[in-house]
Amino acid sequence: MRRYETIFILRPNVGEDEIIKVIESTTQIILKEKGTILEMNRWGIKKLAYLIKKESLGYYVYCDYAGTPAAVAELERKFRIDDSVLKYLTIKTAISITEEGIQEALAAISAKETAKLEGEETDSIDSDDAEEENNLEETE
Amino acid sequence: MAQQRPQKKLFTRKKSCRFCGEKDLAINYKDVKTLRNFVSERGKIIPRRIVGTCATHQRQLCEAIKQARQIAFLPYSGSTQG
Repeated sequence: MRRYETIFILRPNVGEDEIIKVIESTTQIILKEKGTILEMNRWGIKKLAYLIKKESLGYYVYCDYAGTPAAVAELERKFRIDDSVLKYLTIKTAISITEEGIQEALAAISAKETAKLEGEETDSIDSDDAEEENNLEETE
Repeated sequence: MAQQRPQKKLFTRKKSCRFCGEKDLAINYKDVKTLRNFVSERGKIIPRRIVGTCATHQRQLCEAIKQARQIAFLPYSGSTQG
């Protein structure tokens, strides 16, 4: 199993259903080849540095997974056919990864997420006070 | 008549490579903020002799910048702002 990172960009105006459909098909392809998905992150709509197919905004999705080269080939073939996918980029991050490596990676990723959530919670406590102050100012 | 030589012949003073130094930043194509420092206003990659990175890190930087250009985090040419 090799470790890959794939980023693909969807058109910004496609509906939520379409986004879910594309993500579902990517997970299916990876799992069919007995890979494991370590992380599937939707980064949301961002401004593109240059126009792609006349679109200036794009919906980014990031996927970190362990899989076979055949899975990657199939994934890219699907992306090429699909009209809603503007661009894709696959990068190999590790040549081989064992079962233990996968578990470690999963643990590391979930630890990072919980750390980020805790950071967000402490931030939101402060920002709630700020929001209340703003609301008072607006009503006045 | 004393001729004052302009300092053009002197090489730029030896700066240490940012990545070899204390910071230990990882070079990643997703980290656009760091990559922006090594790209000119027009979006061109700044040469190593001006920035002061070592050869290994400059090669990794170039690869990361080219990957970032591929997924439209950085432009191929044109202003990097807006």
